[in-house]
Amino acid sequence: MVTQLVAGEYHLSYERQGDDLILQMGPQHPSTHGVLRLELVTDGELIKRITPHIGYLHRCFEKHAEAMTYPQVIPYVDRMDYVAAMSMELGYVLTVEKLMGLTDLPERLQYIRVIMAEFQRIASHLLAVGTYGLDTGAVTPFLWCFRDREKILDLFEWASGARLLYNYLWIGGVMQDLPPGFAEKAMEFLDYFEPRVKELNDLLSFNQIFIERTANIGVLPPDVAISYGVGGPNLRGSGVRWDLRKEEPYCIYDRFDFDVPVGTGEFGTLGAAWDRYMVRVREMLESIKILRQALDQLPGGDPNEAMPRRVRPPEGDAFMRTESPRGEIGFYIVSDGSEKPLRCKGRSPCFTAISAIDAIGRGGLIADAVAIVGSLDIVLGEIDR
Amino acid sequence: MRQYLLNIWNAFWTVLVGMRLTWRHLFIPAVTVQYPDERWTLPPNSRMQLFVNIDDCIGCRQCERACPVECITIDLIKAVPEDEREASTGHKVRFHVTKFDIDMAKCCYCNLCTIPCPTECIYMTPSYEDAAPDRFDLIYHFAKIPPEKIPELEEKARRFEEEEAAKKTKKKAAVAAN
Amino acid sequence: MTAEEIYQRLQERFGDQILGFNAKAVDPSVRVAAAAIHEVAEYLRHDPQLQFDLLMCLSGVDYGPGKHLEVVYHLFSMSRRHKIVLKVEVPRQGGEVPTVCDIWRTAEWHEREVYDLFGIRFAHHPDLRRILLPDDWEGHPLLKDYQVQEFYHGVRVPYVGDPPQTGLEVYRTQEQEP
Ligand code: SF4
Ligand code: SF4
Repeated sequence: MVTQLVAGEYHLSYERQGDDLILQMGPQHPSTHGVLRLELVTDGELIKRITPHIGYLHRCFEKHAEAMTYPQVIPYVDRMDYVAAMSMELGYVLTVEKLMGLTDLPERLQYIRVIMAEFQRIASHLLAVGTYGLDTGAVTPFLWCFRDREKILDLFEWASGARLLYNYLWIGGVMQDLPPGFAEKAMEFLDYFEPRVKELNDLLSFNQIFIERTANIGVLPPDVAISYGVGGPNLRGSGVRWDLRKEEPYCIYDRFDFDVPVGTGEFGTLGAAWDRYMVRVREMLESIKILRQALDQLPGGDPNEAMPRRVRPPEGDAFMRTESPRGEIGFYIVSDGSEKPLRCKGRSPCFTAISAIDAIGRGGLIADAVAIVGSLDIVLGEIDR
Repeated sequence: MRQYLLNIWNAFWTVLVGMRLTWRHLFIPAVTVQYPDERWTLPPNSRMQLFVNIDDCIGCRQCERACPVECITIDLIKAVPEDEREASTGHKVRFHVTKFDIDMAKCCYCNLCTIPCPTECIYMTPSYEDAAPDRFDLIYHFAKIPPEKIPELEEKARRFEEEEAAKKTKKKAAVAAN
Repeated sequence: MTAEEIYQRLQERFGDQILGFNAKAVDPSVRVAAAAIHEVAEYLRHDPQLQFDLLMCLSGVDYGPGKHLEVVYHLFSMSRRHKIVLKVEVPRQGGEVPTVCDIWRTAEWHEREVYDLFGIRFAHHPDLRRILLPDDWEGHPLLKDYQVQEFYHGVRVPYVGDPPQTGLEVYRTQEQEP
């Protein structure tokens, strides 16, 4: 085994196995977006097999959840996917509500939920898009995306008091009502942000070098994607028009008018990394559309009218999935009628996405491995839970 | 050949488009905040360090129970009736809070403890520069009762309890005698 | 197709391998004998009227010491838009369930996770290793009667004892000396 310092940044260790070379990428690698180890079996420049090793960030969410009361689980849920905490909360909260049969919720609450989830989608996609640029060697878009994401975090901080891990959406309510003037500020942000997406397109998306780099790598055929349970932008990048907000509308998504962008393969192969990237960029525009409608229609009233004082779901189990920025986040909660869940499983979209990495990356070049992993937009906190 | 030249032109052109954008951004004021010198104002209800107004704490332990990471530790001694006082909100304070520690190193700033508090004496303050060189410095002690007074209070509570018990047995005896 | 109809079809086809149907639950579920799960899954996946092409979730559940374990399959058909839940009971000790990962590829990792956290073995699984925990971890943590192993690589789990000596403390004591 030879260890060699490459590019002054990270270690690659080589092991010879017959004619194959095993290359360990990670666990500390700048492009794995967390701690993930990929074992690449390579033949020359080609990848023969990818074996991901996960679990470095395992924090026993499911075991913890069994010792917590239902509202206490919410801070833990935040930490599953720490860059899209609102969406995680929404998924969990809706599952508990489904289990409790809590359907009669105030209008204002429903709107707040949609607004928060969509802002979170934009923030999360900004991070995904920005870091993807970084993975492929473009630093400017990353900084610009973070600048805009910061503005969304400011809005969240204003509403909930926290910047990243909100604990804002509660079962049957929210922690506190939106501050007065939130809708105007949010609208102001949308007006500011919409032209920024175009800037991003000019800067990165339609840059020929970026397209050449990404438009033909990491092809994920739709049937493979479905078989692996990959959802969200990764599935839509393969050309499948499937969005839970449209197909199984939860909250009040059926009231809004928006499109579901899918991969088109306009610059290369359908389902390649560029398509997945572009779906995210276009989804931000759709989220802006939803947000404009929701902020316009935002009714008054008390969002916490129907908040149950004690959360005690009846015995039984429920599974519910929602569309998080990374795909279909599902929660499976089994209740034994007490205040604590008997079992709380988070079915994470990144977990399924990374399990498909072998099918996506096999046969590609080593140099493309980083670009392929980045295009899946994984968050290790959610994979390892 | 044509395609080849077109590709080159495309690459060149799209880079130029990006360059123009970045060039324009040169003249936009920077958004970076030079942190220790400049700081932005925080929204009124931002969730940073916890603070306990111990004079108002009635020792109900609601916050301790609500905390998901168990970072609040409360020790109580029952107060004798003449020691009972009123919190500023009008709630009766029936306990001496001898220990009210919050381990800020464990706290996840989730705000769950501040909601159930009946006197709203535990709340989050917008101060965030509380790094400490030792993690034991991050355990905040809010209780005001000095430790040397604790045995005295304990003794008092014990004696009171005994008296109460004695009274009760007497009463019971009286009831039985009747 | 409603869950009821799916259950009837399954019962016609598999008879006494289908152990029951819970229509009142939030998500209606069908109980299937452990040995038959692979055939049932294959049928559900490939029957032209059913076409369950998506395995939404595969989870293990422990109902407490002395009771059974359960593997739960949440199936969904993207082309037919119907869903069903399959539940398989597994004994606490030495339970084994046939794998379904040749039908839905995503099951491979989900089954590894269930094996890791519950110790349920999946027969014919191509790569049944631990996934979240280290390979040499003992026990399966999501079991309700799980005991944490005492030592892991010479480190006591969970860590209790003296506060660790960090270099910082030494530095601080040195600093305080005149
Ligand atoms: S903010 Fe949350 S973690 Fe911190 S003390 Fe309060 S309840 Fe506990
Ligand atoms: S909830 Fe409030 S009054 Fe009760 S113990 Fe905590 S700080 Fe004191």
